[in-house]
Amino acid sequence: MASTPPTLLEPVVTGAARPAAPKPVRRRRTALVGWSFILPNFVGFAALTLIPIVATLGLAFMQWNSYSTPEWVGLDNFRRLWASETFWMALRNTAYYAVGHIPLTLVAALGFAVLLNRKLRGIGIFRTALFFPYITSLVAVAVVWNMLFSPDAGPVNQFLHAIGVSETPGWTTSTTWAMPAVIITSVWRDLGYYMVLYLAGLQTIPGELYEAAEVDGAGPWARFWHITVPSLRPTTFFVLIMLTISSFKVFDLVQVMTEGGPGRSTLVLSQLIYREGVREGRFGYSSAVALVLFVIVLLVTVVQFRVQQRGEK
Amino acid sequence: MKSTIMKAVATATALLLTVAACGGGDEPETTSDGKTVLTMSLWNYASTPEFKALIDGFEADNPTIKIKPVDILAGEDYAEKLTTMLAGGDQTDVLTMKNVTDYARYANRGQLASLSDEVAKVDAAKYRGLDAFKLNGDYFAVPYRQDFWVLYYNKALLKDAKVDLANLTWQQYADLAKSLTTGADASKVYGTYHHTWRSVIQATAAAQTKGDLLGGDYTFLKNQYSMALDLEKAGATMPWGTANTQKIGYDSMFSGGKAAMLPMGTWYVAKLLTDIAAGKHKTEWGIAPMPQVAAGGPVTTFGSPTAFAVNKKAKNAAAARTFINWATGPKGATTIAKLGLYPAYTDDAVLAAFGAVQGMPSDPVAKKALAPDQVTLEMPISDKSSDVDAILTEEHELIMVGEKSVDAGLAEMGKRVKSEVS
Repeated sequence: MASTPPTLLEPVVTGAARPAAPKPVRRRRTALVGWSFILPNFVGFAALTLIPIVATLGLAFMQWNSYSTPEWVGLDNFRRLWASETFWMALRNTAYYAVGHIPLTLVAALGFAVLLNRKLRGIGIFRTALFFPYITSLVAVAVVWNMLFSPDAGPVNQFLHAIGVSETPGWTTSTTWAMPAVIITSVWRDLGYYMVLYLAGLQTIPGELYEAAEVDGAGPWARFWHITVPSLRPTTFFVLIMLTISSFKVFDLVQVMTEGGPGRSTLVLSQLIYREGVREGRFGYSSAVALVLFVIVLLVTVVQFRVQQRGEK
Repeated sequence: MKSTIMKAVATATALLLTVAACGGGDEPETTSDGKTVLTMSLWNYASTPEFKALIDGFEADNPTIKIKPVDILAGEDYAEKLTTMLAGGDQTDVLTMKNVTDYARYANRGQLASLSDEVAKVDAAKYRGLDAFKLNGDYFAVPYRQDFWVLYYNKALLKDAKVDLANLTWQQYADLAKSLTTGADASKVYGTYHHTWRSVIQATAAAQTKGDLLGGDYTFLKNQYSMALDLEKAGATMPWGTANTQKIGYDSMFSGGKAAMLPMGTWYVAKLLTDIAAGKHKTEWGIAPMPQVAAGGPVTTFGSPTAFAVNKKAKNAAAARTFINWATGPKGATTIAKLGLYPAYTDDAVLAAFGAVQGMPSDPVAKKALAPDQVTLEMPISDKSSDVDAILTEEHELIMVGEKSVDAGLAEMGKRVKSEVS
């Protein structure tokens, strides 16, 4: 273990590793100075993130409508959740979204990054164009895409008609196609950001590797698979983690685009948390759902870390 | 080291809680010249003239009180914003209740102060829609507006129609809508426009067939759904899916001449009057009673009152009660009637003020439309209303986009309401 490089899960603790501890007084002073440096940030973090998270943990086992005194109900919230058809639907929809959104965004971002990683006149325009969706107001994105996907009058279906598709999908008016429509929109919106991350990663690959491979007779595909992809491993890992977290907590796009509909076909977990908590005032139950979401994201992320660690050995 | 961390966290938490507790004082606010400041939650202050009219009128009669509007700009999300504010212990004095479902939610959570003493002092018979606010024998809000649904029609598009608009049945309405539909694509004029809200179909049917929207048996909605879907199929109204994805506004459909008829609430009267006076469009419009299930019977429609309530945590509860008495009583009613809005309190003077508004239709059909025999509440009030509302909305979507047949959708509604709402 000592020989492996430190990872995000094992922060570097330089103080503890230092041999021969100095005098206790000086040590305490050093610690206080250290604390005072992180205090401003920590106070904000504690007030806005840590305390609410810990409170959520407790609330998941209570009944509370934000006005009454919280009442301990043990596992009641989880029992209700287990029996709720809506919860399982939201869980399935969230997984569906993640399974569509993560690989598609990853592949699209990598593809565009490789395409745009060359010195060409005006390449900046293309890179900027692909980054634009990410900095555009999400509400505008959702409303406009909803119109593009309109079953009768929308340009998407008009285009499909023009190329000979007779049975065009109903997109956001169909329970089957609503989620694909949301996924397409989210990929379009997010790919610019991850493309920039990949572009940065591509710049760090030494050119000699490609030259050497070319001398050895490797074609473009072989170079991509055996040099580019392995060299981008750390970037891919970071992109994967960020995509996973953002996929599981998706809320805004779905809320504006379909409001979880038609019916409950695009209802995701974070929407359920919002509805049960803010709208219905069942903060205990909503905290229980939030806790489940937290555990899922934690598990998926830990698995990804493990896989990454194994790959590095 | 660990205990240091724990101590630091504990200290930081204690500090924060102290800071948070110091946030709001409980002293009533006053202006520099000694007036009591009354805060009032409302939506879209700039584009909803009734609030300014009520505030100005009240301040003129009560010079010691100054009202400070708490404007919630996103009118569509008013309920959610107010819910969040109240959950955070907000102390706004007067709370405007946009609809009865939200009212029931706040009242059931104990966030509103009882107004039964105020209600006991007034002539309750003159307050339309007051009954709707009675909850467990107590009143927590008093209505100031009582909107109900009528049928708007475009006079120019209907001038050749040979129908008795004052006594329309749904069958006649559907035939009329089909005959009024003309053109295609950009020049298409629909016979009627059904907005995407579930109430357009569900509340109408519930009011006219005496069905119970909380009951769990929804077969009474069948005819109304079949009629609406048939009109869509015939091309006489815009498909629900298109209206929903394009976020179509009912005003642009009607005032833009894209739909000849429009079932809608009386609040739309004020908007039409204002826009026409401002020269935004020149639609010649009229109003007729809502079509009925059978001909010749009483006019039954559904309505939704808008009310004022007092926050239980109000800083100025006394002044808030003074305002509510004024705004929901004869003076407030006359004030909003002059804007073309239908007040909850009505007497001869108020009705005269309403009829005298410039541009208000005064033909016999309109008179009949504005005096319905029975106005049923859009959604019955109970602690289940909110949960049932969510289910009815979801299943409404599935029926309207054609994912489920009417029978299957209504059966699912009943099944879900019975199993999920307890």
